[in-house]
Amino acid sequence: MSNFNQERLLQVLRAPQISEKATYVADKNEQVVFIVSSDATKPEVKAAVELLFKVAVKSVQISVLKGKAKRFGRFMGRRNDVKKAFVCLMPGQEINFAEGGGV
Amino acid sequence: MQINQENAVDSTGVDVALNAAVNSLERRIDLSLPLAAIDQDVAQRLKHLARTVKMPGFRPGKVPFKMVTQQYGRDARSEAIGAAIEKSFGEKVREQKLRVVGYPRFEPKTGEGAADPLMLEFCAVFEVYPEVVLGDITGCEIEKPALTVTEAEVDQTLEVLRKQRVTYVAAPRPAASGDRVVIDFFGRRNGELFPGGEGHDFEIILGAGKMLADFEAAVTGLSSGAGKTFDLTFPADYQAPDLAGQTVQFEVTVKSVESSQLPDLDAEFAKSLGVADGDLAKMRDEVRANLEREVKKRLQERIKSQVMDALLAVNPLTVPKAMVDQESRQMAEAALRDMESRGMSVKNVPVEPSWFTEQAKRRTSLGIIVAELVKEKALAAKPEQVRALIDDFAATYEDPAEVVRWYYSQPERLAEAEGLVMENNVVDWVLGNARIKEKQLSFDELMGSGK
Repeated sequence: MSNFNQERLLQVLRAPQISEKATYVADKNEQVVFIVSSDATKPEVKAAVELLFKVAVKSVQISVLKGKAKRFGRFMGRRNDVKKAFVCLMPGQEINFAEGGGV
Repeated sequence: MQINQENAVDSTGVDVALNAAVNSLERRIDLSLPLAAIDQDVAQRLKHLARTVKMPGFRPGKVPFKMVTQQYGRDARSEAIGAAIEKSFGEKVREQKLRVVGYPRFEPKTGEGAADPLMLEFCAVFEVYPEVVLGDITGCEIEKPALTVTEAEVDQTLEVLRKQRVTYVAAPRPAASGDRVVIDFFGRRNGELFPGGEGHDFEIILGAGKMLADFEAAVTGLSSGAGKTFDLTFPADYQAPDLAGQTVQFEVTVKSVESSQLPDLDAEFAKSLGVADGDLAKMRDEVRANLEREVKKRLQERIKSQVMDALLAVNPLTVPKAMVDQESRQMAEAALRDMESRGMSVKNVPVEPSWFTEQAKRRTSLGIIVAELVKEKALAAKPEQVRALIDDFAATYEDPAEVVRWYYSQPERLAEAEGLVMENNVVDWVLGNARIKEKQLSFDELMGSGK
C-alpha cells in the first residue's frame, strides 16, 4: 500500500512514548506518540504505523526535541536530538501496546 | 465426611461450613466468598494505590488508572483474596472458639462443590490446640533419691584429684605394676620386622591395660638398662587381622623405670587446688561444698526428669503436627549452630529435622502440659522467687551484685530464670501431690548416671 522499502519502515519507529502528555493527547485527539529515528519523515512514520499496527492513520505531526547541552569538566557536550511523532489515527482506531504490537 | 456440618450465612455474606476432624486435631473449614465483594475490594485497593504509585513519564499520582490496573491488578487481587480469606477464617474461628495452631493451609475447592460462578470457594485445613485435661498425678510414684555427702566421699574425691596429679620419679629397681617404663622394642615375625612392631622411647604405664597383658607381664620385673627377648602370641581377636593369633618375637630394651608418686595431702596440694593459704581443713570444706552443689544439682535433675515422665504418662496428648514440625526444625537449627560453633563445616552435614521428631514431640507435649498446669494451679514464677534464684546463682561468683545486674539487664536472661523457677514450681507441685518413695543412692550411682 505504500511505496516505501519495508526494511526501512521497520527501522523508523523506535519506541512508544508513554507519559502524561502522551495519554492526555491520546484521550483528546486520538493521537499516539512515538519516538522515531531522527531522519524519519511524516510519510514514512505513517506507513510504518499502518504496517506494524494495522491501523488507519489520519495524519502525523513531528517535532524534534533538542538534546541537552551537558558539560563534562571543561568540555561542552551535547546529547543527541530525538524526533517525536504524534500520529493521529482515524476515528475509532486504537493501538493497544499491552497486547502485542510494539516496536 | 461431613459429620458436623452447619451452614450459616453471617453478616459478611460468607458461607461457612465446619467439617469434623480428619485426624483428631485437624479441622477443615469450608469457606466461600462472593466474587463481587472481592472485585470491589480490588478496585478500592487500586484506587488507593493510584494516588501514590510512581511510573516513568508520570508525576506521582498522575498515572492513568488503566495503567495502574494493568501493572498492579494481579497483586491487588491476590491481596484482596488473601485478606478476605483471612478475615472470614478468623471470624469463623472466633465464632467456633477454636484455638488454631500454626498457619492454616488453604485449598481451592474443585469438583461438584465449586459450581457457583459467583462464589470463590476453598477450604481451610488447620490444626487446633489440643485440649488438656490434667490427669490425676496422685497415683504416680516418684522416686526421690537422696544422698548426703560424708567424709568418705570427700576422701574419695581427693583421691581422684591426687591421681590426676600423679608424678613419676626414676626408680633404681625392677619395674612393678603402676610404674612408668620407657622402652625401645622390636617385634619380629619369622625373623622379619613387621609394620607397627617397632617403637622407640615408648612410654607404658604398667597395669593401665593399654598394652597386651602378656607384653606388660614380660616387661614387669626388668630394671633400667635391662633387655629381654620373648615370644608373644597375639590373641585371636586382636585388632590387626594379620597379627591376630600369630606368635612373634619381641626384643625389648628398658631405658628407664619410673615409679609413680601421688602428691601428698599437704599445703602444696591444697594450693594447687586453689586454696591460697594452703589450709587443709579449708580445702576439705571447699571440696565438700563443691560436691554438695554437684550432688544437689544431679539429684534435682533426676527428680525433674522423673516428674516430667510422670506428667507425660498421666496426660496422654495428641500434639499438633505443626508444633512438632516447628520444634524439630528449631532443634535441627540449634544442632547445626552447635556444630558450627565447634568449628565443623556445616555445609556438607545434612541435618534432617525429622531426626528430632521424637524429641520434639516430647518437648512440645510437655510444654503444653506444663503451661496448662501452671495456669490451672497458679504456679507461675513470682518475682521474689526469681530474685531468690538469681541471688542463689550469683552467690557462686566473685561479685554477686554484678551477676544480679547482668541477669536483670536483659529480658531474655530474666525470662530464662523465670522459666527455671516455673519448672521448679511444677516439680514441687508434683512432688507435693504424687506418691513419693525415698531412695538412698550411693555416690557412684549418682555420679555415674549423670555422665
